[in-house]
Amino acid sequence: MKRQIPLMIVITLGFLFVGHTFIPHKYSVDFYDWFVSWSKAISPFAVVLGVMSLWMVHGTKITRKAPNWQYSIVTLTALIFTAFAGFMWGTNEGTPFMWLFKNVQLPMSATMFSLLAFYISSAAYKAFRARSPEATVLLIAGIIVMLGQVPIGAMISKWIPETATWILNVPNLAAKRGIMTGVGLGMVATSLKILLGIERTYLGGGD
Amino acid sequence: MKIFQKIQSLDRRYVYLVVALAIIVPLLIPFNSRIDTTEPTENVYQMIDSFAGKPDKAILMNFSHNASTMAELFPMEVSILRHCFERNVKVFTLCFYPDTAPLVDYAINTAKEDFDNIKSGENYCNFGYKPIGLFLPILLGMGENIAEAVETDAEGRKLENLLIMEGIQNYDDLNLIVDFSASGSVFSWITYARVKFGANVAAGITAVMAADNYPYLQSGQLIGMLAGIKGAAEYEKLVDVFAAYEDVDFPNGREFSKEIIKEENVPITGNYEIYGNKIPYKFKKARIGMNAQTVAHLMIIIFILLGNIGYFVNRKKGGLK
Repeated sequence: MKRQIPLMIVITLGFLFVGHTFIPHKYSVDFYDWFVSWSKAISPFAVVLGVMSLWMVHGTKITRKAPNWQYSIVTLTALIFTAFAGFMWGTNEGTPFMWLFKNVQLPMSATMFSLLAFYISSAAYKAFRARSPEATVLLIAGIIVMLGQVPIGAMISKWIPETATWILNVPNLAAKRGIMTGVGLGMVATSLKILLGIERTYLGGGD
Repeated sequence: MKIFQKIQSLDRRYVYLVVALAIIVPLLIPFNSRIDTTEPTENVYQMIDSFAGKPDKAILMNFSHNASTMAELFPMEVSILRHCFERNVKVFTLCFYPDTAPLVDYAINTAKEDFDNIKSGENYCNFGYKPIGLFLPILLGMGENIAEAVETDAEGRKLENLLIMEGIQNYDDLNLIVDFSASGSVFSWITYARVKFGANVAAGITAVMAADNYPYLQSGQLIGMLAGIKGAAEYEKLVDVFAAYEDVDFPNGREFSKEIIKEENVPITGNYEIYGNKIPYKFKKARIGMNAQTVAHLMIIIFILLGNIGYFVNRKKGGLK
């Protein structure tokens, strides 16, 4: 029963939503509206669940003095302090919450993302070699697109941005469309397998 | 030939140092460079501009990213908001991630502090943060009735009571959705808002995601696209040259023209009669960022070339297999 009931819920609701998409009948619309009002009521519980989960994971780490438990204190302190600032003074411009966002969240997130530039540069220098004809084509295309994306490319030659656009619009587009078609067909097949109860790995348990 | 062996085994920390300098120095010392606008960016500009002064037309800006990708996406968001405020285009903002909500406020406040007459609920409306679980119900619901689907704005006001909602019912009126993201979230707007309701959709995306969107641009499912900091820089220039342009003949900006944008170059430094120092720093951030991107791209290309020269010289000598 532990597997059959969830399976029945998925199959029944799955077919009902497929029906709603293709059959614009009053019953179908009413069912959808009823479902939407339920999802609005359910959503806030996800936040409570998230906070509880975060608290339990990091709380356990602190009490057991697990490796790097000190970082868990930082996480929980940040959670309490940010939530308190938001509830106490609101989230508008000029409030402590907004100050935290601009001076803590924003620079930290941007710093993490900016590391990408360093890794790409280092990886390009160490590994981007014209070892084969395919790698050479990739290397030349990469250099042209990189130059085409910055003003100096047009200053060197007007053909550079034009060639960069052509690379993005023709070979890149053809490859992307092929991949997307494959992914789309795969999604349809997987969805059908889930709807028909053939694909059950999402239930867990291994079989 | 020892130099080529050294090049091959160069400590990566030197690479990091050079890249850091290549990015930091141009940001601290901006220089003028020519920004040529591209068609996907011009299309977004022209569609927004076509809504100027029309009470029954509006755009929706959906923020689908967090602070990590702000360097690329924030300047384009501020530029589009500035365009809307300059040209009296009704604009709505929305986000489905809690850490994006302050970002929306930040963008609106940054753009509107130069405009005294812009009011929340009249000229713009921030729908605020809605839980991601409501993404599809809201997206589809707006196709029927926006006030019913979204219900309240960020300040808790009922949408149906707001002045801005006059003449705005569904996607027929809210006729352009611009999704700003570092992921593939724009595909959902194409799949549902575009296919089901015929809404116009545009994307403001990070440069790494741009390649994924070209099939949609070619098919016309995306009416335009702002790709990375380059797209943001192009939009900044378009707003400077047309929407924010002021002289005796054009006191409230001027219409888009391919000829003008092709010829016009907007300097971001120095004292110039029309542009130059008159443009606030916040409205030329992307163009300053383009300076850093130019030098960084050149440095990466030089590194790639040096690495390959070293590789081929060593291979010729039999040093590498």
